[in-house]
Amino acid sequence: MGDIFSNLMLGFSVAVTPIHLLYALIGVMLGTLIGVLPGIGPVATIAMLLPITFNLSPVAALIMLAGIYYGAQYGGSTSAILVNLPGESASVVTCLDGYQMARQGRAGPALAICAIGSFFAGCVATLIIATAAPPLAEVALKFGPAEYFSLMVLGLVAATVLAHGSLIKAIAMVLLGLLLGLIGTDVNSGVLRFTFGIPELSDGIGFVVVAMGMFGTAEIITNLELKDKREIFTAKVTHLFPTKDDFKRAWAPVLRGTALGSFLGILPGGGALLSSFGAYTLEKKISRHPEKFGKGAIEGVAAPEAANNAGAQTSFIPMLTLGIPGNAVMALMIGALMIQGIAPGPQVMNEKPQLFWGLIASMWVGNFMLVVLNLPLIGMWIKLLTVPYRYLYPSILVFMAIGVFSLSNNPWDVLVMAVFGIFGYICVKLECEPAPLILGFILGPLMEENLRRAMLLSRGDPMTFLTKPISAGFIVASLILLVIVALPALRKKREEVFVEEPK
Amino acid sequence: MRFVVLGALWAIVQLAHAQAWPARPVHLVVPYAPGGPVDVSARLLAPKLQQGLGQPVVVENRAGAGGNIGAEFVAKSAPDGHTLVMGAIATHAINPALYPNFPYDPVRDFRHVALIVQVPNVLVVNNDLPVKSVQDLVALAKASPGKLDFASGSTGSTGHLAGELFKQLTGTYMVHIPYKGSAPATADLFAGRVHLMFDNLASALPNIRAGKVRALAVTTAKRSSFVPELATLDETGLKGFDMTTWWGVMAPAKTPQPVVERLAAEVANAIASADVAERLRAMGSEAPSVRTPGDFTAFVERERKVYGELVRRSGAKAD
Amino acid sequence: MRIKSPKDFWAGLMFIGFGAFAMAWAYANYQMGTAVRMGPAYFPILLGGLLALLGALVFIGSFAVEGPPLPHMNMRPLVLISVACVVYGYVMKPLGLVIATACLVYISAFGGHEFKWKEVTILYVILIIFSVLVFVKGLTLPFPLWPAFLGY
Repeated sequence: MGDIFSNLMLGFSVAVTPIHLLYALIGVMLGTLIGVLPGIGPVATIAMLLPITFNLSPVAALIMLAGIYYGAQYGGSTSAILVNLPGESASVVTCLDGYQMARQGRAGPALAICAIGSFFAGCVATLIIATAAPPLAEVALKFGPAEYFSLMVLGLVAATVLAHGSLIKAIAMVLLGLLLGLIGTDVNSGVLRFTFGIPELSDGIGFVVVAMGMFGTAEIITNLELKDKREIFTAKVTHLFPTKDDFKRAWAPVLRGTALGSFLGILPGGGALLSSFGAYTLEKKISRHPEKFGKGAIEGVAAPEAANNAGAQTSFIPMLTLGIPGNAVMALMIGALMIQGIAPGPQVMNEKPQLFWGLIASMWVGNFMLVVLNLPLIGMWIKLLTVPYRYLYPSILVFMAIGVFSLSNNPWDVLVMAVFGIFGYICVKLECEPAPLILGFILGPLMEENLRRAMLLSRGDPMTFLTKPISAGFIVASLILLVIVALPALRKKREEVFVEEPK
Repeated sequence: MRFVVLGALWAIVQLAHAQAWPARPVHLVVPYAPGGPVDVSARLLAPKLQQGLGQPVVVENRAGAGGNIGAEFVAKSAPDGHTLVMGAIATHAINPALYPNFPYDPVRDFRHVALIVQVPNVLVVNNDLPVKSVQDLVALAKASPGKLDFASGSTGSTGHLAGELFKQLTGTYMVHIPYKGSAPATADLFAGRVHLMFDNLASALPNIRAGKVRALAVTTAKRSSFVPELATLDETGLKGFDMTTWWGVMAPAKTPQPVVERLAAEVANAIASADVAERLRAMGSEAPSVRTPGDFTAFVERERKVYGELVRRSGAKAD
Repeated sequence: MRIKSPKDFWAGLMFIGFGAFAMAWAYANYQMGTAVRMGPAYFPILLGGLLALLGALVFIGSFAVEGPPLPHMNMRPLVLISVACVVYGYVMKPLGLVIATACLVYISAFGGHEFKWKEVTILYVILIIFSVLVFVKGLTLPFPLWPAFLGY
């Protein structure tokens, strides 16, 4: 214990120097900005800023880049709540209830709970990194393809809980998302699937493009149909700050979300996304008023936000302790470190304690800066919402288009975004929800990849999913969840049929 | 008559442009997503080139199809020296054999200006595997055919093809397990779910030093100065084994000779400068083995033949 | 037989369509493999089949369970917004950011209700200045500003 304390002291002494504070501030501000702007994400930004980091010390570089990363999580939730645009895959869930809260004039409390919940989650997660990074990394290593597959099955079953409408249609949307995710190169065989000879499809359709189309463009088109729509937003803006009731309802979800996010963030590949909607599903299932979810329940905002910020912090663990990047951003940071001549890996903790502990301490500092930055900004965002929609939506389109185009400087991406906008619009009209589709879209290829890899490694033995304890655990949990999910639906259907009969 | 005059004017303008190269910002296309090693090296190079050329050098990412989209884009661009590409082993040696209906010729549609990075792969095995040398591994593989799994970052990657060549030269059978990138592959290697991997030196080195994996040999013909204690596969009996991952600056085929030469000189200066050289070394890259555009072209031709053959024999196909 | 729920009717058809297409295409073009060594066609056929099945359930259900009528589809915003985005993408390389953004702003503004030239132009000017400052100068995104034949 004393060890950790002295390490933390070392860390803070590094993090609180003026220059490192400055870089942390730059990082989080920049991160928030790009998180808010739809389309441009932390990956592209960090890549573009890499050359600047060459002239900085490794600690400063890492502090700034990390700040951009978790700052983007804060910013991403802002655009999810205000304009239904998920900046990161993990913010998709925040759109569900957050945007609805904004439509009810409660954007202020939603944003505030996000900021506060994220801050709490960030602090706890950083504490976890400080105390338990190496053992947690070992746990992460225990997850092989079989375990990932089973976890994702659980995740997919949970995805159906997201829907607040017809269960069958939600499952169908998940399946459709799964299929769309399969477009591209099949990892296990190298074969190009569903690309119809179009080279741009050989790496599949990007998540950003689908999300921007189905959530962003579709929403704009739908809004433009209503005549006097924007008055809804501005007329009912009540307090900027959450009420006592909000806090009461939100604190437990934040705790649960933090726990879930901290754990799932450790898993390289898909952890952070699973954590945010896992948190949402959990809250919806244990809530006494599940029907409120999808219509502006604050628990549906607090839990996922806490989860995804906790996940963002703990996703540093595999990178810092094992040198294995959990996602594209971590890979970039590893690149940045390697250019500096530091080989991230198991030795970094011992050989470069200032770097390791300085970064951890700086995460606290960064989270603190973010909450201080974001809370006052809420007032500004609310003001922004009062701008007449006819000015707002072309602006949103411009930012979306720039962001999407900048992905590969290829007009193809913008075209696909427009196509998904049309498709999303149709889905809204037919009451088919986009969120389950997006989740299927992301999880699908991962699931298949892990399924086939697990089968390859076990030389074709399907029992491998049940003989491995962790994997078996998830499969059992999925079955249980499936039953829990299906039961009320079955009961309801029986009631419905009962009511319909007299005709 | 008007057209003749206009045509003449246009020709003069073009000539003036050629004399005054570069006349506007130069776009260095990276056919991969931002953040990867090719992208990072391009971003290292760009500011130095900018100094030398006197015009902004902008890195433009055009990812997709394993790099083919970006490479094709530049192959079909105006050959005025303002659009360049970081052509890599993938785009110019492996993919032509891997993908159907290939849209360009890697040798004839490009001027190969300068090779920048060459990184060897290293054969690493899980610590619990009872082998201490390449000979041990070959013996184990022969004794239990089809039992060993080797991981790679993707089908058709150098890691995969190195494994295939290894199997061919040693007459062994190991199962190829492809991953999406070398990071998840490394994770499974640590955990022992796969047994071995031909990882690139830069990523593998920290793991080797930390003792998380055991290194057996490097894939280049010459020993690497980063791990001089490691034998080459060629030395251990796999004659002729010489594989590196490489990339360099290329331009469209009809780019004028003076432009190519000036560019080659500037790039050579850039990578010789202290900070860039150091950072490239940090990626595991030693000084490139070919120095002139002509040699580079010959190099690409050779590589293209070797990998074309390898891909064909391994049966890997992106279709 | 009366269609009781038009939304479900069309949704069901949509799902059946996607599912059937996926199955057919995968079956015709890729290897199935076996359950223990799955080929690239396995998952698509499986999923496509499930999707088509669920689609059929939804479709049949649309004759049994009452549902709200199909909402009106307003073509104008749909077409104009989509066209605006597509034009932006394809105009960017030949004509540059300034013109592409103009196309996007004006065409999408047309898709709205009130279109006043002066307002839209002011909005456009603000947006293009912001875009150039933040994205091109700030983040050094390689967008061409002006049409190609004018040089960059």
